[in-house]
Amino acid sequence: MSSLLKIDNMSVSFATPRGNLRAVNDVTIELLKGESLGVVGESGSGKTVLSRATMGLLPGTATRTGTITYNGQIISELPKDEVRELWGTGMAMIFQDPMTALNPVRRIGAQLTESLTVRLGMDKKAAKLKAIELLMRVRIPDPESMLRKFPYQLSGGMRQRIMIAIAVSCEPQLLFADEPTTALDVTVQAQVLDLITELRKESDMAMILVTHDLGVVAGHTDKIAVMYAGDVVEYAPTRQLFSNMKMPYTEALLKSIPRLETPTGSRLPVIEGRLPDPTKNEPGCPFANRCPYVTDKCRAEKPPLTNAGNNHYYRCWFPIGGEK
Amino acid sequence: MSDVQQTVEVLPKLSSTKKKKPVGFYLSATWIGTVVFLAVFGWLLPTRPWDSADYDALGVKPFSPNHPLGTTGDGYDMLSGLVNGAKISIFVALVGVIIGGSIGTFIGVTSAYYRGMYDRVVTMIFNVMLSIPNLVLSLALLSVLAYSDENNPTTTSRRVGVLMLSLTIVVVPILGRIGRASALQWAGREFVLASKSMGTSNASIIIRHILPNVAPAILAIGFLAVGSLIIVEGSLAVLGIGVPGGASWGSMLANGRGNIAYSPHEVYMPAMAIALTVISCNWFGDYVRRALDKRESKI
Repeated sequence: MSSLLKIDNMSVSFATPRGNLRAVNDVTIELLKGESLGVVGESGSGKTVLSRATMGLLPGTATRTGTITYNGQIISELPKDEVRELWGTGMAMIFQDPMTALNPVRRIGAQLTESLTVRLGMDKKAAKLKAIELLMRVRIPDPESMLRKFPYQLSGGMRQRIMIAIAVSCEPQLLFADEPTTALDVTVQAQVLDLITELRKESDMAMILVTHDLGVVAGHTDKIAVMYAGDVVEYAPTRQLFSNMKMPYTEALLKSIPRLETPTGSRLPVIEGRLPDPTKNEPGCPFANRCPYVTDKCRAEKPPLTNAGNNHYYRCWFPIGGEK
Repeated sequence: MSDVQQTVEVLPKLSSTKKKKPVGFYLSATWIGTVVFLAVFGWLLPTRPWDSADYDALGVKPFSPNHPLGTTGDGYDMLSGLVNGAKISIFVALVGVIIGGSIGTFIGVTSAYYRGMYDRVVTMIFNVMLSIPNLVLSLALLSVLAYSDENNPTTTSRRVGVLMLSLTIVVVPILGRIGRASALQWAGREFVLASKSMGTSNASIIIRHILPNVAPAILAIGFLAVGSLIIVEGSLAVLGIGVPGGASWGSMLANGRGNIAYSPHEVYMPAMAIALTVISCNWFGDYVRRALDKRESKI
């Protein structure tokens, strides 16, 4: 399969009153056509910025360096208008919170047909038929009456389905899903993820799934990039990562997922401490202060991205399963 | 058993009282409707000509058979005067708010959406304009643009034109700032970003996503502005630089104020018309805002 998206050495920083905030450091990622990548990390690790920067949806205070190649075209050097041409039809995004990502004063039909008429130049009748078809694809019962409803009349799960319908309306090749299930009920989360995966399979759409939940990416992605403080700290095919994880951070993330078999009343393991200040550029591994296996070397020197073979990369001096 | 019955009875009552509009809504809507009707169709009514005096009835008190609202000391019929005055007062205020409001909203919303240098310049100009009191600004514009003395008198239509222009200029920064503040709040919302991420153009986003959300605030303040422009028009007339010859409510008030001692109705009739219209505009604007805000508040 051919490469759809290639991000080379991308860094993103924001100008803030407290100085330059580095949100993404030197990230290199490749995505094939129809493939799905999970980007995992805790809040503030730079995963949302990574996806928005790739699309070009950053505010004016941000600076982005590095190269982004989409379908063989270097889009990081294109003028804004031409990148915008790709939005919707080439790349589309599902947002985290379906409560705020729909306009409260406009009907579902108007919001759903907007990109169809504006981007694809459909007339109103054709757009309405297409909208009904889209609503059926995202399993919404009675799609015709749905077109006349306002967002406040729908539940969170329904709204997220509408958001998905809007995102796939122009048949993009690459879908960014920015924590699509975080704002939803646990019972609805699985349904929404299954729906996204099914839609992807139908039209061979690639996806970047951003989440903080390792459990979510396990069944829905081909490979995973674990992010910490703006760095990709582990990057591997999904099976490989779960069977043979190298990073203490990945391990800690996995441990902090609640499990059915843990005895009642026991405390959930948490990762102690906080992310380092992104405006300061301190030496050493950024995870050193929170890592259970920390050594003096970790505090002094930042580990490079190391290849463990089988497309498995990690950023640690003392990987799990290696020599201590 | 009786408890259950009570709850059943209470429930529909609650929902019906919630939907009922307050009396003030109907009162203000009726008054605004009447005034607008008189302003538009008043010339079709069989009232006496407003600009010719009845010399047999000078300073007649209200509720007399020929002159239901009385006459002025010069014999002009108050009712026809008020009906005719509605035309100018409402027209001048409405045109000022509609044109000034459109310009102001456009500038305010675009500056909130695009930000940057454009926004800073716009905000600065709005602040400078707002720092000049409405009345002083209109006064200055009127006396420069519609200056008249005995040798070259200004025509009434030119005066009305300049009056509308100056009221328009007064409204631009008021509604512009409301539009900007409201649009700022909406421009940062995720649905704007979501629409942008689908490749929608900026103009489209402003028209489809931001304006419908800004509209309630603009409409509510717009109605308030209609009220205050009617007052500004009246004040200018009393100061002697409004529409001359008793052609508007303010002008009638200005003409009648010398006779307040022996025929007070000459002052309080137009004053009441102004007051009722202004209060109705405020009330009505408030209900409009509340009605349009419902969808948002339900979230």
